[in-house]
Amino acid sequence: MCEAVYNSAISTILKPVISALRALPVPRLVQLFVALVGLAVTACATDWNSPEQHLARKIVAVTGPGAVALTVESRSSLGKRDFEIIQNGLRSVLEGLGLRFVKAEQAAATVTISLSENPASYVWVAEIRQGAGDSAVVMVSTPRPEGSTTARDSVPLSLRKILLWTQDDPILDVAVLEEATSPTHIAVLDPEKVSLYRMQGGSWQQEQVLAVTHSRPWARDLRGRLIPARDHLLDVYLPGVICSSTAAIPLTLNCRDSDDPWPLIAGTLNGGSLSVFPSAGLANGASTVVPQMKAFFAPRRNFFTGALTPGVGKFTTVPKFYSAALLPRDKYMLWLFAAIDGQTHLVDGVSDQAAKFGWGSDLTSVKTACGAGWQVLSSAVDQTEDAVRAYEFPDRDPVAVSPAVDFAGPVTALWTESKGDSAIAVARNRETGSYEAFRLAMACGQ
Amino acid sequence: MKRFDWRWLAVNSLLMFTLAARAETRPQYGGTLRVAMRAAPTSLDPVETQADSFARRNLTLLIFDALVTTDDSGRARAALATSWQASPTNQRWQFHLRRGVKFHDGTVLTPEVVAASLRAANPAWNVSTDGESVVIERDIADPEMLAELALPRNAIAKRTADGNPSGTGPFHIVDWQPGKRLTLAADEGYWRGRPFLDGLEIEMGRSFRDQMTALELGRTDLVEVAPEQAHRVSLDARRLANSAPVELVALLFTHDARTPDERSLREALAWSVERGSIRSVLLQGAGQPAASVLPNWMSGYGFVFSTNADLAHARHAREQVRNIPTWTVGYDSGDAVGRLLAERIALNARDAGLSLQPTSAATADFRLVRISLASSDAWIALAGVATFAGLPAPKNEGGSVETLYAAEQAVLAAQRIIPLFHLPVTYATSATLKSWTLRADGNWNLADAWLGNGKP
Repeated sequence: MCEAVYNSAISTILKPVISALRALPVPRLVQLFVALVGLAVTACATDWNSPEQHLARKIVAVTGPGAVALTVESRSSLGKRDFEIIQNGLRSVLEGLGLRFVKAEQAAATVTISLSENPASYVWVAEIRQGAGDSAVVMVSTPRPEGSTTARDSVPLSLRKILLWTQDDPILDVAVLEEATSPTHIAVLDPEKVSLYRMQGGSWQQEQVLAVTHSRPWARDLRGRLIPARDHLLDVYLPGVICSSTAAIPLTLNCRDSDDPWPLIAGTLNGGSLSVFPSAGLANGASTVVPQMKAFFAPRRNFFTGALTPGVGKFTTVPKFYSAALLPRDKYMLWLFAAIDGQTHLVDGVSDQAAKFGWGSDLTSVKTACGAGWQVLSSAVDQTEDAVRAYEFPDRDPVAVSPAVDFAGPVTALWTESKGDSAIAVARNRETGSYEAFRLAMACGQ
Repeated sequence: MKRFDWRWLAVNSLLMFTLAARAETRPQYGGTLRVAMRAAPTSLDPVETQADSFARRNLTLLIFDALVTTDDSGRARAALATSWQASPTNQRWQFHLRRGVKFHDGTVLTPEVVAASLRAANPAWNVSTDGESVVIERDIADPEMLAELALPRNAIAKRTADGNPSGTGPFHIVDWQPGKRLTLAADEGYWRGRPFLDGLEIEMGRSFRDQMTALELGRTDLVEVAPEQAHRVSLDARRLANSAPVELVALLFTHDARTPDERSLREALAWSVERGSIRSVLLQGAGQPAASVLPNWMSGYGFVFSTNADLAHARHAREQVRNIPTWTVGYDSGDAVGRLLAERIALNARDAGLSLQPTSAATADFRLVRISLASSDAWIALAGVATFAGLPAPKNEGGSVETLYAAEQAVLAAQRIIPLFHLPVTYATSATLKSWTLRADGNWNLADAWLGNGKP
C-alpha cells in the first residue's frame, strides 16, 4: 500500500524550493508537475513486497538456509519491468532468509519460481527439487489489479489472405494501383520488369510491361519495392537501382544506379516528409501522421545496412536488418528491426533493446480498425509450414492476436501496402515452384 | 497574433462529422440470426442439466437472466440483483432485486418467484424472501455463491402450469420443437435494452459437417467447429472465435483404484500417453495437453503437472504388476475423433506393456470423456469435474490457491480420472454477423450483435 508520510517543520525546508519554482516559467512547472505525478503513480503502481516475503518464507521452510540454484520464469501478462522488479525482490528476500545462489551442480536444491496468473490473481509457484526425490510445490497468490486482463489463448483477430497474382518468375512486390471492391489495376515487380495488369471481364489482362534496366548483375535473393507516387505512377527500389515511371501514357520507366535510401513507411502519397495512414475503417475518422523514415539498402546484398535517415531519436544507425515495422506510441515511435542475426531490435529513440521472438526475417506493421489499432505482421517458420501472424505489443513483448496464416512455401517478401492497412506477402510454392502474391488484410473481432 | 477562425472550425467539424458518419457503419436493428448446433436439448428449463453442453448453456442465457453475472476476470456484476451482502462467514447471502423487470409472460419479477426458482435448482439451499430481497442460507461457508448464481442452471425461471418456463432474458420463445428447432424473438421491453437482432432461428442436432456445409451455402450464420477442424477452417479465411480451453478430455474409470496393482497400472497408463504428438496429429494443434483437471489459465499452476509421456516410468510402474488384465476403453460412437484418440491411447499403452481394447460399447473399464467445465471459477469447475467422476465435490471454505492445488491433487489421487487435453470451443460465423464475441468461458455475447450486409 502506498501511504503518505508526514514530517514536521516542513515550511523551512520548502521555502527555497518554492522560491525556485516561482522562478520557473509556467510550461516548465507543468512539465515538472506531470513528471512528479508520473513518478508517484509508478511508485504506487503495485506492491510486490508482501507476496515476495510470503513466497520466500515458504521456500525457505522447505529448503532451509544454504546453497540453491534459482530460476525465475514469467508465465503471466506481467510486463518485463514488473518481472525484473519481482525477480530482484525475491532474490533479495531469499538471500535475507539465508539462501545463497549457486550453479545447479553446486546446489543442494534447485528452485524454479514461475510467475503465473489466473483470471483473478497473480499466482507465483515455486517448484523445489532436493536430491532425486519428488519436487515440492509451494505457491502464493496476490489479487490482480481491477481492469487488468488475462492473456487468453484465443486470438481475437484474423488475417485474411487474398491471392493477387501468381507467376513462375520471382515476384519482388505487388502494388495495387486502383481498386473498387477488389483490386482492378496492379503492378507486379520482378527482377527484370514491372508488369501492369488490369482486371477486365473477370480476368487480368496485361496492360504494359516496363523494363528495369541495371548495369550490374543482381544480388542473390533479390528484393525490391514498388511505391505508388503522387505525381507519377510509381517508383521502383532495387538494390543499387532506383526507377521512376512517367506520369503520362504510354508509360516509361527510367532507371539509374543509386544508393539513395528506401522508404520504410508506406504511404508516401503526400510526397513530403510525412506519411499518412488513411482513415478508412477507423472509428474516429482520423488519420495517423507519422514522420517518414528511410533506410539504406546494401547494393549487393539482401538487407538494409542499418543506416537510417533521419533516424529514430538519437539512433541514426541500427544493426543490419532485413525488415522494419513501426508502432506509434503516445509520445514516441517504437521501431522494430528484424536484424540479420535473428534478433528483433526495439528502438524507441532512447534505447535499443534486442530480443529473440522466434520470428522470421520479414516483418511489417499495419494500421487497422482492429484491436489496439496497430499490428505487426511477422513471418515465422515452424517445423512444417511457413506462416504470417499478427502481433500487438502491449508493452515490449509481442502478443499474438491472430491465428497464423499459412503459405505453401517460404515467405519471400512482406511489405505494407501504400494505404497502410494491409500488406503484400509473397511466397514461393514448394510444390509448383511458382511465386504467389497475396494481400493480407486484418478482420476484426472474430 | 492571428485570430482563430471559429467559422473555419465549424465548417471543418461539420465536414469531419459527415465523413466520419459515412466511414463508419452504425449497428443496425433487424434481421434473424440463424444458428446451428450439435446439442439437441429436449427442455429449455435451466434446471434441466442432464445434457449439459456449452450450446445448452448459451440457449439458457438467451431466454433467462441470472441474479448476477461474472466478467472475464471472474468478478461478479449486477444483473437481476442490483446489490448483495454476505455475512462474515459467507453462510448467509442477501440479494436486492432490480425493480420493474418483467417475465416474457408479462408478470413482474418478484422475490417469491426468484426464491422458488433457486429452490428448484438447489434443493439443499434454504432460500427465503425478506421484503424486496431474497436470502440464501447455507450450512457451510460458501464464498463461491456469486459464481454459482451466475451459472446458467441458476438462471431465474418462472415455471408455469403448462410446463414451459418463462424468463426475463433478451429473447422470448416463439416456437419450440424439443430437440429440433427453436425460434426466438427479441423482447421489446428487455431491461438491458432491446437486442439489435429481431430474433434467432436455432437448428439442433446438426453434425459439425452439416453445420459447416450450411455456413458455406449461406444457410446459417453461426456454427460450431470441431476443435480438430479449427485449423483447416481458419485456412479457408472463415471468421473463427475460440474460447479459452474450457473442455476437459480425460479417461474416466468407473471406480477408484482399489488395489496396489490397479494403482500401478493406472499410473503406467497415465505416463504412457503421448499427449503432445496426439494433439499435433489428431487434434491438429487444437487445445493444450493436460495432466491437471483445471486448465492453467484458470488455476495459474497447471504447468506444474507434467504432460510429457515417460515410457520408462510407465514400464517401471507396469512391471510392479504380475497379471496384466486387458482393459476396454470406451468412446462415444458419435465422436469422430474420439475413436482415433482411443486407438492412439491404446497404442501408447501397448508400448508400456499394457493391453487396451477400444470399444464403442456402453460398458467399458474406463471411458474417454469430454467434460464441459462448469464455470471459469476454479473451485466450481473442479467440483463439477469431481461430481462428474463420482467423487466428493471439494468445497472452497475461503482457502488460498494452495488449498485449491491440494484439492485438485486429492481429486487426481483417487486415480479415477486421467486428464488428457483442455480444448476450446470454436465457432465460425458468416461475414454478416457483426459485434459478436465469445467469452473465455465459452458463453456467447449476443447483446451487441447485429447483422450487416456481409462486407467485413
